[in-house]
Amino acid sequence: MLQLRNISKWYPAGGGRTYILNNLDLDVSEGEFISIMGPSGSGKSTLLHIIGMLDEPSEGKYLFFDEPVFEMKEKQRSKLFKQHIGFVFQQYHLIDELNVYENIETPLIYQGVGGSERKAMVADMLDRFQIVGKKNLFPAQLSGGQQQLVGVARALIAKPKLLLADEPTGNLNSKQGESIMELFRELNKEGVSIIQVTHSEKNASYGSRIINLLDGRIV
Amino acid sequence: MIRNYFKTAFRSFLRHKVFTAINLLGLSVGISASLVIYLIVHYELSFDKFEKDGDRIYRVVSIMQFPDQPFKNSGVPAPLPAVARNEVPGLEDASHFILYDNAKVAIPSTNAAPKIYKKQDNIIFADDHYFSLFSYQWIAGTPSSFTQLHQVVLSESRARTYFPFDDISQAIGERIIYDDSIEATVVGVVKDLDEITDFSFKEFISFATLINSNLKNNYGWEEWGSVGSASQFFVKLKPGASTSQIENHFVSLRAKYVKDEFLTTDHLLQPLSDLHFNADYGNYNQKQADKSVLYGLLAVAAFLLLLGCINFINLNTAQASQRAKEIGIRKTMGGSKRQLIFQFLSETFLLAFISTLLSLLFIPWLLKIFSDFIPSAINFNMIVEPHVIIFLLVLLVVVTLLAGFYPAMVLSGFQPVTVLKNQTLGNNTKTRKAWLRKSLTVTQFAGAQFFIIATILVSKQIHYSVNKDIGFRKDAIVNIGAPFSKDPGLRTVLMEKLKAIPEIESVTLAGTPPAYTGSSSQTMSFENGDKKIETTVEFKNADEDYFKLYNMKLLAGRFPRSSDTTIEYLINENYARFLGFEHPEDAIGKMLTHNHPFPIVGVLKDFNSKSMRTPIAPLIYTSAARNYSSFHILLKPHGDDGALWQTAISKMRNSWNEVYTEDDFEYRFYDQTIASFYENEKNISRLLSWATALAILISCLGLLGLAIYTTNQRTKEIGVRKVLGATVQQIVMLLSMDFIQLIAWAFLIAVPLAWWAMNKWLDNFAYRTTLDWWVFLSGGSIMLLIALTILCLRTLRAANANPVRALRSE
Repeated sequence: MLQLRNISKWYPAGGGRTYILNNLDLDVSEGEFISIMGPSGSGKSTLLHIIGMLDEPSEGKYLFFDEPVFEMKEKQRSKLFKQHIGFVFQQYHLIDELNVYENIETPLIYQGVGGSERKAMVADMLDRFQIVGKKNLFPAQLSGGQQQLVGVARALIAKPKLLLADEPTGNLNSKQGESIMELFRELNKEGVSIIQVTHSEKNASYGSRIINLLDGRIV
Repeated sequence: MIRNYFKTAFRSFLRHKVFTAINLLGLSVGISASLVIYLIVHYELSFDKFEKDGDRIYRVVSIMQFPDQPFKNSGVPAPLPAVARNEVPGLEDASHFILYDNAKVAIPSTNAAPKIYKKQDNIIFADDHYFSLFSYQWIAGTPSSFTQLHQVVLSESRARTYFPFDDISQAIGERIIYDDSIEATVVGVVKDLDEITDFSFKEFISFATLINSNLKNNYGWEEWGSVGSASQFFVKLKPGASTSQIENHFVSLRAKYVKDEFLTTDHLLQPLSDLHFNADYGNYNQKQADKSVLYGLLAVAAFLLLLGCINFINLNTAQASQRAKEIGIRKTMGGSKRQLIFQFLSETFLLAFISTLLSLLFIPWLLKIFSDFIPSAINFNMIVEPHVIIFLLVLLVVVTLLAGFYPAMVLSGFQPVTVLKNQTLGNNTKTRKAWLRKSLTVTQFAGAQFFIIATILVSKQIHYSVNKDIGFRKDAIVNIGAPFSKDPGLRTVLMEKLKAIPEIESVTLAGTPPAYTGSSSQTMSFENGDKKIETTVEFKNADEDYFKLYNMKLLAGRFPRSSDTTIEYLINENYARFLGFEHPEDAIGKMLTHNHPFPIVGVLKDFNSKSMRTPIAPLIYTSAARNYSSFHILLKPHGDDGALWQTAISKMRNSWNEVYTEDDFEYRFYDQTIASFYENEKNISRLLSWATALAILISCLGLLGLAIYTTNQRTKEIGVRKVLGATVQQIVMLLSMDFIQLIAWAFLIAVPLAWWAMNKWLDNFAYRTTLDWWVFLSGGSIMLLIALTILCLRTLRAANANPVRALRSE
């Protein structure tokens, strides 16, 4: 599904460079559930952002479904991203001004999905996550776990092939975290590839493969 | 999608109530000012636009070349039109008509006394081409029936005034008598022009009627040398005809028909569209518009609108960090830059739209405040007219783009990774964008200070004009005009009655007061050895009592003696100097010639016979009593309650009514007459005050918004400083200093601009007030004071806040 080759990311520091990622290779096949682990500052989030096309490396090559991502124009890349990738964040990052329903609906709007189709898709998603009763609430009115549930629902609404999660359970208690992880496992079974960044061994164990990062290298 | 945007926008407005209120108020003030000004400008520009082929219709006007000043007149010599119609090629149509105002109209009745209408206006003697050149709708009769002697066509409204018929076409055949001498039969009724026009004529008497009456002699019939504005000549050119060629034809016409021309006279074509604006020629005593005032108004509107937009830009970019998170999320969910720009623009559009609705609420109020400045035809109902709606839509788009484009670019440019990783992004970009915010704020305050300085200076000039020593007494004087057409003997009768009123100090009968808007001039020549000095001189008529009443000073010789016709001249100092007399005494006994030579018997100290716009010019007083038409009455000083003057005026009224039974008593205090010279300036001053107040209001709203923003941003800094021992004053100073610097910069920009502009404006005046340094300084100080007050509202609160709280919440 995606191949990273010789990916490096650095910042100039003094006379030299500080490497965040250092000459890193990674292959991910469809259907995998990968957990990226490592201490703080090892480059986990940066790697995830690069995979999610939110950030660019200083050097290296990235093929997504055999297409060279960094050689594309902004427009094409954005299209690729919209079609295939969903994002889940540690801080949920829901839009405060929008209620649950509207938050979930937003990606569809950006993809130009028609009104009635949008309605049906959002209704399905609300149903599936059992949050129909909360659809008119605003993020501030929800608990952390509920917010993250909405975050996941929003990431999945456009039926992405790849779900990227940056410490999805980081701000949740263990019970809430577990239910999110169960959800991920289920999604993975349905064919969604998942890459998550996590600190927790337990969460990592839900995945099919663990990648350990240290100082910008896979160990 | 739009609905979703609007929903987000609404919720974001509600979350930032103060900023939204500031933006709404600022924009709606700008929009309502623009709308009112648009209505005025549109109204003034649409005068006589309805006339078919109006671009080919011209008025023929005259310029007489007096020795040192051209005299412009809207009329033509009475013989010109008939000749021009036959001999000037390129004219499709031409109409000559004569204004006939202040007529006494009598409607005879078979079985009762005639109905009398005194002082009827809007009457003309129109030739039979009038109705083919100008389009009217005929209710009864036809243009072809209007060719004979003793015929009159009425407008519907005038016909209804005169006749009681329900079906107004029954008025045909009725008789009307003008000034007890001219009789006419109604042959037609036309609809009043309901378009915007200065052609307010309501009664059209056939031209032949005039030619066959003695009245024509009042209009200098057959005299090529006499030009009066009552004789109006309009032409319609053939398509493609050139105006300069036709003007040349007029030159050859004059060469052919006018022998021994005393003054060179040119006839020019004034476009129909110029009639409403050109004060040189006037327009049937209608209120004209001044194009430069209209442009000034447009500039004010644009400026106020710009101020509102600047507030929007400043507050939105300042607040950008607060929205950064939303932008980051939207981008990670697939929102493209273009979609985000569209979202922010639609948000701005919504705000501008609400502002527009809000501004509509202000309109009736604005129309009321400026009712004496705004043409009365403009009213609130006009906002549903298509052109106004189109204007509002265009304005809405312009405001949206002007205010929204830059913030939209800034906001949509955020990189999601940086935003989502690091929530304090706003602070990083702050310094980068601050210069723009600062320069916009400086622009606002420069404009506001410019307005303050201009307002002070215009008031200063008005104060100077009204209070300057103009060389004569103007207080406690009342002027009464004697009816010109009545027996001059009655004037003496009234004079004796007035003299008997004990509240009157003194009274004299003479020509116009020392300073007066109208004037009459003649060319005078003076032979100094072999040199002949010829110049145009203003003529006034008065005798000794007048000069004493007005307290005017004689420099040499004596005042002229009373007589029926001119026998001697009193000249002013300026004229004496103009003639080359070093000492006033030298002029005494010298002869001046108009038609006959008369001696100079006295030299009068210079005084202002016009407003301060006009320099003092050569002037002559003669004591030709037959030109005396005005009573000048000096009242005794009144007590505290002014009752004495009240009594005096009611006694004068009684005397008047005993002498002139048919005419109404009209009086005017002379100091008010003089103050009315500056009506225009007072209007400008009032408009400026309003523009200034609004500019200050909008700018200070923006300032308040920025102050709120910065104090919020620096809460932690303030807390730390307070913990470290900073006093409240120190913190207030710290927070205010940035803004004070901006105002100082704005002051540096405003001063030269204001200096330049006000110098230009003062050039309109021959006698002007000084551009004192304190005017500029007070402009800056007023702004600073207001701004500091606004800032204190916010900074004091921030400085007084408990620091522990600020630090804990971080």
